Amino acid sequence: MGTNRKYWKGLEELNQTPEFLENSKNEFPEELSVNEFLADEKLAESSTGRRDFLKFLGFSVAAATLAACEAPVIKAVPYVVKPENVTPGMPTWYASTYYDGSSYASILVKTREGRPIYIKGNRDHGFENGAINPRISASVLSLYDSERLQNPTIDGVDTTWSSFDASVSKELSSAASSGKKIVLLSGTEISPSTESIIKEFKTKFGGDTTSTTELVDGVEVVTETSTGNIEHVQYDAISYNGIRQANLESFGKNIIPDYDFTKAKTIVSVGADFMNNWLLSGQFTNQYGQRRNPDGEWMSKYFHFESNMSISGSNADVRGMIKPSQIGEVLSILHKEITGSALAGVASTLDAKVVAKVKDAANELKANKAESLLICGSNDKSMQVVVNSINSALNNYSSTINLNNPINLFKSEDDKMSALIKEMNAGKVGAIVMWNTNPTYSHENGDAFNTGLAKIKTSVSISQFADETASNCKFVAAENNALESWNDFNPKGNVYAIAQPTIRPLFETRSAAESLMTWAGMSEFSGKDSSSFHDYIKTMWEKYGFPKQTKYSSFKSFWANAVHNSTDDANVLAATATTFNGNISTAAKTIAAVKGGDFEVITYTKSAIGDGKMASNPWLQEMPDSITKVTWDNYITMSPADMKAAGYSEELGQESPSSLATIVSGDVTFTLPVFPQPGQMPGTVGVALGYGRGKNNEKIGKSAYQTGEYGAFLEDENGKRVTIGANAYPLLANGDFSVATITKAEGVYNLACTQTHSTVMGRNSIVKETTLDIYKTEDAGVYNHQHTLHTGWNHDEKPIAEFNLWDEHPVENVGHRWGMSIDLNTCIGCSACLISCQSENNVPVVGKDEVRRGREMHWLRIDRYYASDIEPTVGTKGKEFAEEGFAGLQDASNDPKVIHMPMMCHHCNHAPCETVCPVAATTHSNEGLNMMSYNRCIGTRYCGNNCPYKVRRFNWFNYPSYRKFTEVNPAQDDLGRMVLNPDVVVRTRGVMEKCSLCVQKLQATKLVAKKEGRAIIDGEISTACSEVCPTNAITVGDWNDTKSLVRKVTTEKRAYQALEEIGIKPNVWYQVKVRNEKNEALAELQTSHGHAAEHHEEAHGEHEADLETGHDSHDDAPAHH
Amino acid sequence: MHKESAIREPLILGHKTYHDITEDVCRSIEGKAPRNWYIMFGISLLVGLYGVGCILYLLGVGIGTWGLNKTVEWAWDITNFVWWVGIGHAGTLISAVLMLFRQKWRMAINRSAEAMTIFAVFMAGMFPLIHMGRLWVGYWVLPLPNEFGSLWVNFNSPLLWDVFAISTYLSVSFVFWYIGLIPDFATIRDRAKSPVAIKAYSLLSFGWSGRAKHWNRFEIVTLVLAGLATPLVFSVHSIVSFDFATSVIPGWHTTIFPPYFVAGAVFSGFAMVQTLMLVLRKAMKLEAYIHTKHIEYMNIVIMTTGSMVGVAYLTELFMSWYSGVEYEAYAFLNRATGPYWWAYMCMMTFNVVSPQLMWFKRLRRSLMFTFFISIVVNTGMWFERFVIIVTSIHQDYLPSSWSMFYPTWVDIGVYVGTIGLFFMFYMAYVRYFPVLAIAEVKTILKSSGESYKNGSAELHTPAKPKVETVVENIESKKVEDVVSDKSDEDHSEKISSLISKLGVGDALNKDDLKLVSGVGPKLESVLNGIGIYTFEQVSKMTKPEYDLMDSITKTFPGRAERDDWAAQAKVLMNNKNN
Repeated sequence: MGTNRKYWKGLEELNQTPEFLENSKNEFPEELSVNEFLADEKLAESSTGRRDFLKFLGFSVAAATLAACEAPVIKAVPYVVKPENVTPGMPTWYASTYYDGSSYASILVKTREGRPIYIKGNRDHGFENGAINPRISASVLSLYDSERLQNPTIDGVDTTWSSFDASVSKELSSAASSGKKIVLLSGTEISPSTESIIKEFKTKFGGDTTSTTELVDGVEVVTETSTGNIEHVQYDAISYNGIRQANLESFGKNIIPDYDFTKAKTIVSVGADFMNNWLLSGQFTNQYGQRRNPDGEWMSKYFHFESNMSISGSNADVRGMIKPSQIGEVLSILHKEITGSALAGVASTLDAKVVAKVKDAANELKANKAESLLICGSNDKSMQVVVNSINSALNNYSSTINLNNPINLFKSEDDKMSALIKEMNAGKVGAIVMWNTNPTYSHENGDAFNTGLAKIKTSVSISQFADETASNCKFVAAENNALESWNDFNPKGNVYAIAQPTIRPLFETRSAAESLMTWAGMSEFSGKDSSSFHDYIKTMWEKYGFPKQTKYSSFKSFWANAVHNSTDDANVLAATATTFNGNISTAAKTIAAVKGGDFEVITYTKSAIGDGKMASNPWLQEMPDSITKVTWDNYITMSPADMKAAGYSEELGQESPSSLATIVSGDVTFTLPVFPQPGQMPGTVGVALGYGRGKNNEKIGKSAYQTGEYGAFLEDENGKRVTIGANAYPLLANGDFSVATITKAEGVYNLACTQTHSTVMGRNSIVKETTLDIYKTEDAGVYNHQHTLHTGWNHDEKPIAEFNLWDEHPVENVGHRWGMSIDLNTCIGCSACLISCQSENNVPVVGKDEVRRGREMHWLRIDRYYASDIEPTVGTKGKEFAEEGFAGLQDASNDPKVIHMPMMCHHCNHAPCETVCPVAATTHSNEGLNMMSYNRCIGTRYCGNNCPYKVRRFNWFNYPSYRKFTEVNPAQDDLGRMVLNPDVVVRTRGVMEKCSLCVQKLQATKLVAKKEGRAIIDGEISTACSEVCPTNAITVGDWNDTKSLVRKVTTEKRAYQALEEIGIKPNVWYQVKVRNEKNEALAELQTSHGHAAEHHEEAHGEHEADLETGHDSHDDAPAHH
Repeated sequence: MHKESAIREPLILGHKTYHDITEDVCRSIEGKAPRNWYIMFGISLLVGLYGVGCILYLLGVGIGTWGLNKTVEWAWDITNFVWWVGIGHAGTLISAVLMLFRQKWRMAINRSAEAMTIFAVFMAGMFPLIHMGRLWVGYWVLPLPNEFGSLWVNFNSPLLWDVFAISTYLSVSFVFWYIGLIPDFATIRDRAKSPVAIKAYSLLSFGWSGRAKHWNRFEIVTLVLAGLATPLVFSVHSIVSFDFATSVIPGWHTTIFPPYFVAGAVFSGFAMVQTLMLVLRKAMKLEAYIHTKHIEYMNIVIMTTGSMVGVAYLTELFMSWYSGVEYEAYAFLNRATGPYWWAYMCMMTFNVVSPQLMWFKRLRRSLMFTFFISIVVNTGMWFERFVIIVTSIHQDYLPSSWSMFYPTWVDIGVYVGTIGLFFMFYMAYVRYFPVLAIAEVKTILKSSGESYKNGSAELHTPAKPKVETVVENIESKKVEDVVSDKSDEDHSEKISSLISKLGVGDALNKDDLKLVSGVGPKLESVLNGIGIYTFEQVSKMTKPEYDLMDSITKTFPGRAERDDWAAQAKVLMNNKNN
């Protein structure tokens, strides 16, 4: 309501008298008599009384105190100028490439507000089809390791790059002129640009390289010969030199061929853990998974012979236990069966059962000539020559093994490395420059290397950490994390890839190549934003890459695409048969000379820790091992039978410490706890590599050390931090295995194991398994029995899904209903999903002591079940059950079948957790999700108790700030917090949490679809676990979308819901595991009377549930069947 | 009205008068507490404070200080909760149910049993609070309006039912107990000397005047509350059992739980009453009111409920087999033979076997044995809850998550602390509250008091009380012996001669003879025994009367004369009259 009324203060204002106008200009119309006031005598007389004094004193103390209180510092500062490509709240994805010396993958890096927070595989580009391993996923956390080197150091003192570079250049020059050798030592270098820089570096410091390039079968093969005083040595912690040497002998090529598992109908692996770390395991795993669909054209059959229980072995259709000294014997039998000639002089000590399995394998191989694959994990050239001979006889070099597309990784030059150590100790080396390597720790002669290193005047290490090697070098050039650097790669044949930085370097660091460039005088280092290496790569690609292709007409678009996709989709040369020229008789002689022992120690790498490079990554340390489910530790895996004989404790659990044993092999001695490993060949033990890092308290990251019950680091008698486990690398000096004596040591040791019961107790509604034969010939009810209930007077049998105690949540056919299906056939237990989930959902790390107490926080876990002696396969009760009862199901068989079962919140439509929460903190969404309102949760833990899957996790402590977790939980330091996903809240103490089915991703996807005004496309939805699964075992989607993949697979014959009979109606399905094997006991159980027996058992179960639903059928239920 | 047959053992032994009852009950409140009380109270206080310390540590650091894990998310917390709630059952059963059934023997024990109930429910109620991950928002379990920052609660949750059940039970029990206390507080108020006590008990007694109208209303309220409380006895533990019965966990998901829990609760509650009463009667010298017969009755209840619990255990076992559900079968097999077999054995032996011993009359009337069994039963009942809670969830559906539970020092500290706090409260109660329902016990004095019931019991005493009515110290006993020495004809003659000289005293309007210098409480009672009640009588004493009195009492020759009691009494009499 407008008004025109005006108000005046007085008539003066109305009339606008001159006096008024004059006065209105003065703030104080009347003049203040300041002088008079100050001269007032009374004022001077006034005194401050005692009381007044106290008042003033009190006030000022209070005011001063208040003023001294620290105001919270708000660290988030808004952008003044918004950077391009950064929209707060929106993730930006960068395609890049991961290579750390042993793992290689094309990746996508998710950044939020400029911080990389999540890594997944690139499904659109690259030969791995997006398969990654847990280490790649977890590597994003290593970027934020607060113990990374933040400046270059000289003699351990921080310095600036300019003075550092000046000193290094000067010393290198003087080394070059001194006549002593200059050595460049690195892990396998697959960057063409870096290799080119190395060439220039060599030239600069007096070396000379003559290189000849020739085209062999269309691939450029560059042969380099070093002359002069400078040499580049490549050395890997885990060497595959045997394969290269064997191929050199067999086919005249010093390469590792590419393998194609998609073409292999029969796969035989002798000790090669190709699903874990063997060569390009990501690619192989993905390919293997593609051929494991029983409904596919064909399903591969996989034989595995090994001593440890490996991830691959646990997934094998047929697994045979052998000692490592028997690898040659297995190969000999295969050789004989396939080529007709045995290996001369190789005796057979194999068990008859294993021999039968090997012969089966041989027959299968023969039956699938050119469609089979034999691989071997040995690093012994002779073994690999025999493998080549067999594969050659099987004609596999024309299909499954591609010599024309060699894998460029693992170029370890073991002989050169040994020679180098000798030279170093002889004082012949004047300077050494190292990057991407840590021989003091990972070389079998690490101590000798270290003494040699001390004799070198100029030792330079380019490293992210002052690790075992770097801390003994004079110069340490602080290196970028891979996510901070440009790089390019040539991983395979003519495949090239690019890595681009996703964040400006956090510290005063630079990439290894940039350091080499600076010292070689190729460029000046201009600080964090230096682009010299980037420019160099670009030049290289323009010079060599661009002319090779025809797709792009301008280099600009070629380069833009290369960076956008991170890798070019190169034309891969096809495999061609090559004549085998190996010398079998020499190989046989070497193999025959292999001597076993009472105890043979095999070293292996875990999927979490790998070769130990990321031992300080708390996510990886806390990742339960795929097989043993032990976290934060290294141990000796031993057959339970051997343990019983030696009197070791076989118990696992919070208050059941393990026994310690000492391994003595030659002059290598170490003591570790003993873990009972079903499936471990008696007479062998396994020890993981990659542990025992930082034994001299090197600053390699907090999580590499053991912490105690109240969180602080454990210290030994010398006040040094105690390492996790022991370093087993010295054992590699003995080749594939070491003969050792194992004696019980004093004391006990607590292992933190997330799963302490190893069998499924014959429970058949948790995991379901059948054989391919049964699957192909029988009805689904045979191997995938659906639970039914009886209802009404006539005892009509109805499926369990039709019974409801309450009204259904209206999720079916209304809007979305998110569902998930997990194929037990392709889940290999690698645990990449677990780390991805931890990364996406800010799952806290709780440390060993808490895991030991059964309080790990993982939202997704992978249950691993072994079959007991009376289970024909996991989750079935054999005939012997009648006599042995549950006691017979308690312990795993010594040679068990294994099943991996990912377990996370099932988002039950009749969720037991939802009904019991007194404050309705966990509720059901109308899209079928079981949701947690963290800020409503009061922490009664009733939901956790009532969850049949035990997937709810309680925040027992304040993980982000309680002292116990200072050294383990990355969320406790400012840097580590940068990895947190801002879309997912960090949970407070005292609340429940659990898998949300990545609801934040669902919502984001919905939002994108909504903004684009369309429905969600099937396949658009992904969860953290599903998008990193190397075998695509996890399918998620909208179940209400009748055309969706998840709907399809959950309505197929193999689909079942775990613990379906409770009536909780989960939104997660599993698919029955189908093993491609002959299993007569299982066939008998599932097909003929075995089925009837099981059905009878169900009758009781149904009866119980009947009572619950009020349908009284108890009087004749047992008679019903 | 109900009249008891003479054959039944009397409920009040000895020759108790109404006054004796008042005296016996008020003695502990009015007199000085014995050293033992201070020791006991001190110990309880210290243990309780330790428990409070543990609770504060728990609240400060997190639930992780307990030994719980991802599989066993409830263990000692809820075990202790159910155990204390169970103990809290006997009180209301005794006062309400037994009242409705006109069981007069309850009157000796109901006050203390109710007090026990309230303290036990306090302890019980603490566990659901402190077991919350976020106690500071614990009030969200109440259906508060949204202005309190909370949303509406989930009425499907048995935990919410618990909130209502426990709070209702606690409030009704408390009111019931308090209503009964009012007339007794009034008695104490009327007898109190110190102004603080007078003030305090005046407040506590709500202005009770003992008028007929008050009594009438008192009776009605008591009856109404008894009617209200009776269903609560059954509802509370039924609802507590729903926490488990409505779950899907094998071993919890059992329809037998409600009756079985109630029986178990009464079982453990009575055991706790036994433990407390056996100590109380000794310490407070209430043997005449709480005697073997009461103990025996309670033992019969223990035996009955123990048998019910035993039947329930066996039924569970049978059902686990008969159901054919493998998870259920395994849960019970695991209980009996799994890693917690020892807890199951404790439970079975303590709860099923031990009460069966009560079939032997000698055993159930043996006080020492009863005391022992009462401890055993409560231990057994603790194990029962532990077995139900922990062994069911530690190995449930998915063997991958199977785990063990190991208590930490905080688990133990909190539990032991609640025992300390409970006894601290109980000791304070014993000291400041009337431990017998004075008014109620007086109602049965004539119908079930020994001297009334057996008439001339002195001559032929068929049911000579085994418990001696020795309630006073040796000195007064001697006097009593002297006074009641019937063979001494001369004695009574002397008394009557003395009284004839001094005049018959008015026992009802007696004066406080203790005001006379030289007369203590004991001497006063001796004088009262002779028949001297008033200052007036004392003031009439002269040399012959002093001598006569000395010859009767034979205790303090010449003392009265020396102190000139007569002169003192005159002064006191005048003061009184003025």
